[in-house]
Amino acid sequence: MICSDAFRATGDAMAEIQGAPGYRYLTTPHPVAGLTPDQVRERAEAVAAEVMSLLTAGAP
Amino acid sequence: MAGEPDPDVAREAIEYCYEQGWTDGLPVVPVSQSMLDEFLAQTGRSPDEVLWRMDHLGRECTVQTAAINAAMAGCLPEYFPVVLAAWDAVMRDRAAKGGGWQSTSGPAPLIVINGPIRAELGINCTGGAFAGGFRPNATIPRALGLMLRNAFGVAPHVFDQTTQGIPGRWAICFGENEEESPWEPLATEMGLEPGANAVSCTLTRTYEFVDNRHTQNPEHLLWDFADTISRTGVMIFRAQSAGIVFCPEHAQMLASAGYAKADVKDWLIEHCGRVEADLRNAGKDAVSEGGLGGRSASEDQRVPGDVFTPFLPGRQSVPIVVAGARNAAISMVFRVFGEWSNSSVPIESVRSSVAATKGD
Repeated sequence: MICSDAFRATGDAMAEIQGAPGYRYLTTPHPVAGLTPDQVRERAEAVAAEVMSLLTAGAP
Repeated sequence: MAGEPDPDVAREAIEYCYEQGWTDGLPVVPVSQSMLDEFLAQTGRSPDEVLWRMDHLGRECTVQTAAINAAMAGCLPEYFPVVLAAWDAVMRDRAAKGGGWQSTSGPAPLIVINGPIRAELGINCTGGAFAGGFRPNATIPRALGLMLRNAFGVAPHVFDQTTQGIPGRWAICFGENEEESPWEPLATEMGLEPGANAVSCTLTRTYEFVDNRHTQNPEHLLWDFADTISRTGVMIFRAQSAGIVFCPEHAQMLASAGYAKADVKDWLIEHCGRVEADLRNAGKDAVSEGGLGGRSASEDQRVPGDVFTPFLPGRQSVPIVVAGARNAAISMVFRVFGEWSNSSVPIESVRSSVAATKGD
């Protein structure tokens, strides 16, 4: 899961309430809504390595 | 004087409630079991009945939890059926069911009460309808806010993701000024029997008044409303919903000129909106019918600048109520957060049914 960093507090709290405290997810800098397609592509490239490592890492 | 309450004891109980995190920042009324029983005696509904469940948060609110929060909010026991009806009314709103309570807009419930219960409970319908100073008007919406906070755990900075929110978010509740309205009450318009005690409620975002004491011409007045409703700032979808809380003077002026409520709605549906050039200037020409859209359209995708987009899709998108004093021509435009259910919820009348069985 990837969300913008402004929603970290809510994301962490949701993970906890769903019984998964410390659930690992990725963030990208806020805001996202107004980005151009090229800027979204840059964001994706910036986070791609972290996505790979999160998906291939073992459970914490 | 014997029997006077002890302020120090009260203070201790109030501070205890603060320490538990039960308040919205203002003091709450500490609730005893006997007080809770008085609230529950005002409804025929079971204390264990679940009013609403938010599955994603794993939390629910029962009638009993609602009663505790209504009592903490400062309600009298006899307000409790109104609180329950207000909750049921707002939860008919699709946005409220769909996560609207946690929206970054921080939408406020707008609670409108019809029927003789307004006078029985002392609900303000006239001067200062939005301005506070009356116990039921202040405490009934506050009860909803406390339910959200305490039953569902939707508190600021965590599950409540409000960016700024609406001033007076938990304080917007009034009776319709039926006595000075030229039109049928809102609840009657929504299909309930004339004279029914009822609550209508929807989530709202932004309020702005129209002060027009300047014209005798009903079309001028309607243009002034259309200008306020047609702002680009609040626009996130092309299709919008905006209502008006008419002051008696504006409503009477329009009615005298032959406008029924439906005529006012039709006029606004036809005239509220903006041309494409205005939307482009505000960077909102890519806003779609049903979504946020993205950035401005590219040159080759642009439609001509003089193409007009109407904002209000139909009569159901233009709720109209009458409230306030007869002393000036000042009305309020409000924005519906999602889509109002276009319905009113009858207020349960436990006391009168008890009275009837006793032959009173």
